[in-house]
Amino acid sequence: MATISGANVKHVVVACEAGMGSSVMVAKMLAKQLKDAGITVSHTPVNQLAGEPHDVVLCHRGLGSRAKQAVPDSVVIMFDMFLGDLKIAKLVSDLKEGAEIVGD
Amino acid sequence: MANFIPAGDGGHSGWRAAVQKLGGNLAGMVIPNIGAFIAWGLLTALFIPTGWTPNEQLSSMVGPMIVNLLPILIGYTGGRLVHGQRGAVIASVATVGVIVGTSIPMFLGAMIIGPLAAWVLKKIDGVLDPITPAGFEMLIGNFSLGISGLLMAILGYLGIGPVVNSLSDILGAGVKALTDTGLLPLASLLVEPAKVLFLNNAINHGVLGPLGVIDAEATGKSLMFMIETNPGPGLGILLAFWLAGPKVLRGSAPGAIIIHFLGGIHEIYFPYVLLRPLVILGAIAGGATGVAVFAATGVGLVATPSPGSIFAYLAVTPPGNHFGVLLGILLSAAVSFVVSFFILKASKAGDDDLEAAKAKAKAMKTGAAE
Repeated sequence: MATISGANVKHVVVACEAGMGSSVMVAKMLAKQLKDAGITVSHTPVNQLAGEPHDVVLCHRGLGSRAKQAVPDSVVIMFDMFLGDLKIAKLVSDLKEGAEIVGD
Repeated sequence: MANFIPAGDGGHSGWRAAVQKLGGNLAGMVIPNIGAFIAWGLLTALFIPTGWTPNEQLSSMVGPMIVNLLPILIGYTGGRLVHGQRGAVIASVATVGVIVGTSIPMFLGAMIIGPLAAWVLKKIDGVLDPITPAGFEMLIGNFSLGISGLLMAILGYLGIGPVVNSLSDILGAGVKALTDTGLLPLASLLVEPAKVLFLNNAINHGVLGPLGVIDAEATGKSLMFMIETNPGPGLGILLAFWLAGPKVLRGSAPGAIIIHFLGGIHEIYFPYVLLRPLVILGAIAGGATGVAVFAATGVGLVATPSPGSIFAYLAVTPPGNHFGVLLGILLSAAVSFVVSFFILKASKAGDDDLEAAKAKAKAMKTGAAE
């Protein structure tokens, strides 16, 4: 199980199917919340995650197994709702407080 | 949190990941090029003889765009996904072989030959790169691409083109049979459940879109573009969740409605369905209603409305089709709403779990529990 300390996270990647729709929306909302913490957020198609390590990968549970296949060594967080998801809220607070973040 | 979500656990279900991956690759070749499809669709809607402002000179662009440009763009993008810029170039060369072998728009053929050609070049580069002497990289690189590209184009012309051509004929005949017998609404039985499993892009851009383009080339519009993209069923579901859903979900529903119906991000309603899987019946009923209305009023769209927003719908609706299109969306939303509403009302008992989850969530927010 991959883990990372919130204090070491510089960048969060949000993945979705096409990398052009829902991930862009989530990334934008997240970027706003993490701006003050100095953490950047980007978005990508889940097919293109592989190849480089990521601090934290965020994606919907329905795409979770593909994300984990692509980046087995990175922390993958799966959320359930695109709006008002508690896992995302917790990730934000963990990042701000520098708490330990455990992948799904 | 695991027991909060009964369906859609990302940990297993390998077949779903595999199908998603294949579909994702197909969609990944199409989605970046949607803008070109829309340019073509609008050009068609404006200037063909039955369009808004018929114009013979300008409509001469319609054919070359659909037959040449769009398949080459798809092949190019597919090649780029596999092997970067070199992959994109060889894929474009090879795609031309598939295109000239047939008379129909060769999307499926481009989706096969593009990545294949790039993969072949990747293997060739893998062999040649280590043994290329310094200073000869450009010479060997250009000619290895040129020669293998030529061979892949010939393979496409002789092998893949004819096979895909007959395959397209079979698929097209199947769709025509479904349309003629009035059974097309049954497609919603498959499409709506697959959609919420995040196969939406695979179905629309991988299967229905290419069929629709063949249709639209002949008649100027197609119903195929509307089967998966209709925002009506999702709207009905979100409205039902707003009024009758579990309390913990009601708050986010209005925002989700705006993002779904106006913004066209359908993914936003999938989690609601996964939380209350029976609601899929509402989506199926709504989707089938929409297809039935579209078919009965004889409407279609000129290109894929992507994203599936009401604004994109209106932009690609050809003249005279607005009534049927809007009626279909409205009725599909109404049917989906009514069915979902009663399902949610009937399953009220399940709210206890969600209340518990909500309490747990509150505790989590304050950091009291994990």
